[in-house]
Amino acid sequence: MSRLAASLVVLAALALPAAGLADDTTPPVAPGAPPTSLVVGLGLDDPALQAGVLRGREVILARGFEVELARILARRLGGRVERFVHVSSPGRLLASGAADWQLAFAGIPASSRTVGADLSTPYLTTDVVVVVRRGLDRPRGLADLRSAVLCAVRGDGAEAAVALHAKRAPSLLPSADRLLTAVRTGACDAALVPADEAGRFVAGHKRVLGPVVGRIRHGKGLVVAVARGGGLAAADVDRQLARLRHDGTLGRLARTWLGLDPAALPVLR
Amino acid sequence: MLNSRRVARASVLVIVLAALAVCAPAGASSGSLSSDVWFLQDGRPTAAARSAPGIPGIVRALLAGPNRKERAQGLRTAIPTGTAIRDLRISRQVVTVDLAARFTSGRDATSLQARVGQLVRTLRDVPGVRGVRVRIEGGVPIGLFPGYDLRRIVREAVPEETASGLRDVQELLAALGFMAPTGVTGQPGDETSVAVLAFQKWSGLARTGVLDAQVTSALDRATRPVPMLDRPGKRVEILLGRQVALEIVDNRVERVFHISSGVAGRTPSGAFHVYRKERMSWSVPFSTWMPWASYFTGGIALHAYPSVPAYPASHGCVRMMARDAPLMYAFATYGTPVDVVREYA
Repeated sequence: MSRLAASLVVLAALALPAAGLADDTTPPVAPGAPPTSLVVGLGLDDPALQAGVLRGREVILARGFEVELARILARRLGGRVERFVHVSSPGRLLASGAADWQLAFAGIPASSRTVGADLSTPYLTTDVVVVVRRGLDRPRGLADLRSAVLCAVRGDGAEAAVALHAKRAPSLLPSADRLLTAVRTGACDAALVPADEAGRFVAGHKRVLGPVVGRIRHGKGLVVAVARGGGLAAADVDRQLARLRHDGTLGRLARTWLGLDPAALPVLR
Repeated sequence: MLNSRRVARASVLVIVLAALAVCAPAGASSGSLSSDVWFLQDGRPTAAARSAPGIPGIVRALLAGPNRKERAQGLRTAIPTGTAIRDLRISRQVVTVDLAARFTSGRDATSLQARVGQLVRTLRDVPGVRGVRVRIEGGVPIGLFPGYDLRRIVREAVPEETASGLRDVQELLAALGFMAPTGVTGQPGDETSVAVLAFQKWSGLARTGVLDAQVTSALDRATRPVPMLDRPGKRVEILLGRQVALEIVDNRVERVFHISSGVAGRTPSGAFHVYRKERMSWSVPFSTWMPWASYFTGGIALHAYPSVPAYPASHGCVRMMARDAPLMYAFATYGTPVDVVREYA
């Protein structure tokens, strides 16, 4: 009896580290050939871009702009997404050399520094979208906006643009709801909204808001992290992203998941 | 010896009962539980009474949706038909519901938010339940249901977007310029009624001063009023059709006031300016005091008056409420343009 118990303890001790290793092991990839089954990392930081159910590290029922993009990209690269896994913040994700995914979408800015991954060209602009109040003359450029009361949500990507372009003291509001109220009631002449949130901002409120007049160049965009040694080359990903942009797939995805395609808006200069 | 055993058994029983009381809220047992389940009527949460075996029964009743009679009354559910419960546990007054993937189907943000609201409201109505943890297929939903962070225990449903609370309505009326920000109290009163009346006049609604569904619906779509004329600087517009006065700065309407002008067209239309101001003015022809008077043409002034009905009633002057007239008096300084517009009959 005691021997049996001892054997079980030994077996359990052997099994534990094996299970731990299994979680962190990079999926086997044949050297030279691109993998046909991809593991895609998701940050789950922005509900418009990606959402899902986190079960352990696995993300099931994943959906969103970046999730669809990952699926299409995988097909264009000759494979398919085998599963989605949750990855940590972009900073830690890119600082780490060991990746158990081949592609990662985690709100990664184009200017990020990386150790264990290469970065693609941007697939989504991080420019700031301008939505004016009803009744305001449509601004033709940044000069027209300078005399207006510009507003943004405190702490989001548009705050810096407001500070940069506002002649009057800008209004920074605590939430998108407050920003909406401020624009519809005329307390603000224009709302500056991050590109990925602009569609949601105007959705269902077109009757109380003026037009989406354009975008202010603010950043370079979000990029895909391509794990080094994962069997995929960033150049191949770039090539496919360029095709997706050219054939309108990226624009269609943006309109479906974000409500509008920010890349199609005119740039205000 | 026998007594000490009895005491020990009784102690164990007490401990077990106490533990159950801590871990399980009322209704967790399989006995019949009467509680409300929450559906939607015109997009707003609406309760329907149910009696079911315990909390699982109540959740199943929610997932089943409104019955035929309730559907005929307009009740709807945002929860997809056929959503199944995978697991339901109750611990420390928190109900953990694990639902099948079907609960996440669809992409309409309003519906996704509403279905979690229905679940949370239903479970929070069960006596003793203090929180809800939602799981889908055994995992934690992240970003799937707008307005809810389901990584945490949910204590309250997200309030509806529409301005249903009085304070919300007052905040919106103030933000649109129909009342002073100091009027936002959350309490009903004369100031709110007058603001509602001004809003009804501006929006072409029935002039009742009553905050009804028509007003809240119109408020949900309302934007800040725009002036009739396009002129720079500080000025006053009096709209004889709508029976409101607008304080305008650089073509932005700062305030909208409920007024009563001259009956049968006795207030002349045209472009005037304030040429005389009297804190207390005596009307010789009508032998009455006119506080806070700003004259803009002949003997016609904006002034306070005890009676300001929703229709033209004066001898030609522009009557204002006692609370509003001092504000207009301060705004309409000497020389301020006053445009009287007969915008419609």
